[in-house]
Amino acid sequence: MNEPNSILQGSVAHRGWTSVIDPVTKLLMALDLALLSFCFTNLLVEIALVFVALVILLISKAGKSAVHAIEFSSFLIFTMLIIQGLFYSHNQTLLVSVVGIRFYQEGLLYAATMGCRIFVIILATSFFMTTTTVSENSKYLEQVGLSYKAVYVLMSVCYILPEMMANMKKIQMAQRARGINQQKTILEKIKSILPVLVPLVIKTLDQSMERSIALRLRGFNSPHRVALKSANLYRHEMVNHRGLSLLAIILIGWKLWIIGSKFI
Amino acid sequence: MRVQNIKRSSIWKIRLSTATMTLIPAAVGINYVAKAFAEGLKLPVWLGTLGTFLASMLAGPVAGAISGFINNVIYGLTLSPVSTVYAITSIGIGIAVGVLHAKGWFSSAKKVFVSAIIIAIVSAVISTPLNVIFWGGQTGIPWGDSIFAAMIANHIPVWISSFTDEFILDILDKVVVAYLAFFIYRQLPQRMIRFFRDDK
Repeated sequence: MNEPNSILQGSVAHRGWTSVIDPVTKLLMALDLALLSFCFTNLLVEIALVFVALVILLISKAGKSAVHAIEFSSFLIFTMLIIQGLFYSHNQTLLVSVVGIRFYQEGLLYAATMGCRIFVIILATSFFMTTTTVSENSKYLEQVGLSYKAVYVLMSVCYILPEMMANMKKIQMAQRARGINQQKTILEKIKSILPVLVPLVIKTLDQSMERSIALRLRGFNSPHRVALKSANLYRHEMVNHRGLSLLAIILIGWKLWIIGSKFI
Repeated sequence: MRVQNIKRSSIWKIRLSTATMTLIPAAVGINYVAKAFAEGLKLPVWLGTLGTFLASMLAGPVAGAISGFINNVIYGLTLSPVSTVYAITSIGIGIAVGVLHAKGWFSSAKKVFVSAIIIAIVSAVISTPLNVIFWGGQTGIPWGDSIFAAMIANHIPVWISSFTDEFILDILDKVVVAYLAFFIYRQLPQRMIRFFRDDK
């Protein structure tokens, strides 16, 4: 029975320092960094936090998914800079005027601070995303006491998505062969979704019914169920969890104090 | 011959049955695919709550709320980390749909419209503070944000501008999703509806 552990230990040696930090600690680290970015309103501190999150991500040699997530949010941050730079309610100091369009310092600073916060959240979460795997997370969550049912739900989401995408492609090809094409107006477009979406939804729900029956037959709800015990490969788990949780509570308290003191 | 009424479990059942456990991932998958469809066809709606609607209609508000929550958490951990906080909105939508469906507000096309408006209000009320905290009030949909920009340019408070931006987008999205869910639900075989509804 030592085989699965030896495989895991082999991968740990291969993956380096990030693998001795458990998934919950990584999540709490991301949470604390995000909370820190919300506690400060100074742009320089925010930039420093982005830098810290970036360094953590780069030394863990994981960054591709972060690039994707940054791309995803960049457009919104860009529009935020424009809208707040032009129309922020506390705008007073003119910073730059481009073809008669006036950008104000206060609005740009406000949008830049919020943009940095978004980057901190993205980079810190990317560290968790790229250094953990679905099976590692699910094993650990079960180990720290999350119900096996909740773990099953979380895990199966990650496995059901590729299956659904494959089903969707099959249905789309079948409908295209029948001559159903994309339409121009919004109403026509919505109508064109139905021939693909309806069979896909019914097929997915049908498969989940089958899966449910299979689980019952295998005794998933059995009261005599035993959990797989795996070797603990992480270091200082409890210290990390407690320390980072305490920091999170302090940061939330601090932020609430700041908000509350404005009203007093 | 005596006819005995079937005793249904409460709509607020929290125990995760195997049927609900397999329905939730399916609902999250449907949300994902529907959202991908809307983005692919460049529709002005998100459609990302279709699965949550169906889960709430089939297995009650708790299942819908869990589906919505997990959907945003997974979406946040794979695509856009900030969308994790909108899990609160998804929980609200799941509960609203489940309760409205249980009270019979999804039984006819006219009632569905009223339900969609109520759900849009719930969604906009929960989302507006999040939009203000994270995005300065914007929603990320260009034409909705242009309304927001026009309103704050005219010195209308950020909260009202942001709520208007969110509500206009939500009403369109929720009406389309509610009718899609209503239409799909009516196409589902009875054995499937009973399987998820009566599972205890």
